[in-house]
Amino acid sequence: MADKGRREASVSYEELVAGDEFPPVSYELSATLVSKYIEAADCSTDENVPPLAIGACAMTAMSGSLSLPGGVIHASQEFEFFKLVPIGATVSCQSRVARKITRSSMDMLVLELDVFNEDKEKVQSGKATIVLPAKGTNA
Amino acid sequence: MLSEIREGKTLPQVVKNITQEKINIYAEASGDFNPIHIDESFAAQTPLGGTIAHGMLILAYVSEMMVQAFGQNWASGGKLSVRFKMPAYPGDTVTVSGQIDSTEHRDDVLYINCSVGCCNQKDETIVSGGAIVKLRWQKGLFNA
Repeated sequence: MADKGRREASVSYEELVAGDEFPPVSYELSATLVSKYIEAADCSTDENVPPLAIGACAMTAMSGSLSLPGGVIHASQEFEFFKLVPIGATVSCQSRVARKITRSSMDMLVLELDVFNEDKEKVQSGKATIVLPAKGTNA
Repeated sequence: MLSEIREGKTLPQVVKNITQEKINIYAEASGDFNPIHIDESFAAQTPLGGTIAHGMLILAYVSEMMVQAFGQNWASGGKLSVRFKMPAYPGDTVTVSGQIDSTEHRDDVLYINCSVGCCNQKDETIVSGGAIVKLRWQKGLFNA
């Protein structure tokens, strides 16, 4: 697939190119999901979804489009939060490959994402740099 | 919420103990089942030597500190940029800390620039970076 292509199926690191966009994913930030997140992150919230819960779901939604080996680790992360998101809202996530870095000992991906509410307003954006397992090892 | 906004003001520390159980619960909640987090036999064979906490779990703790300091302003006008320096392992105690480095008043908005970081019980840096919070300027409310 050429640059700026839309990825419709789960793809491997080798197949990805910078500019690839993943299919948009929508998901409901239900009370059950938020409750589970709050328990897991040992935090509290009001009537709004913790911003990192939105980010975590967006990252997971994005990774559903990727077929990466086990052992991928996070190198850096950026987030910008624009709007509060009430519990129970449905948001959609658009993500893409910003950079692909291939080195002899290490492969890295820079992935960008934007999350929108039901009114198409951007509520959050993020950029993750992930490191793939060193070649020839599990991680 | 912080009682005052000024350069050098420290943010409320957050201290969390990392356990494999918490990591497993986070995997369930986030849907991130990468075996480096939850499969002890897999993780033992990697250079990391064992399972590690999700980076996003550690950032949830950073976000908790920012919420404690700035309330909803964080979730509606916050910006975070961090690097993961080393993993957090089950058994680690993670301390999240931060401070206000500078403030800037522009167009009726107060920009609060903070440094944030996480250390383990050996005082090794796990995460370091910065955060910016935007507050609507209200005269007399802050000592900025």
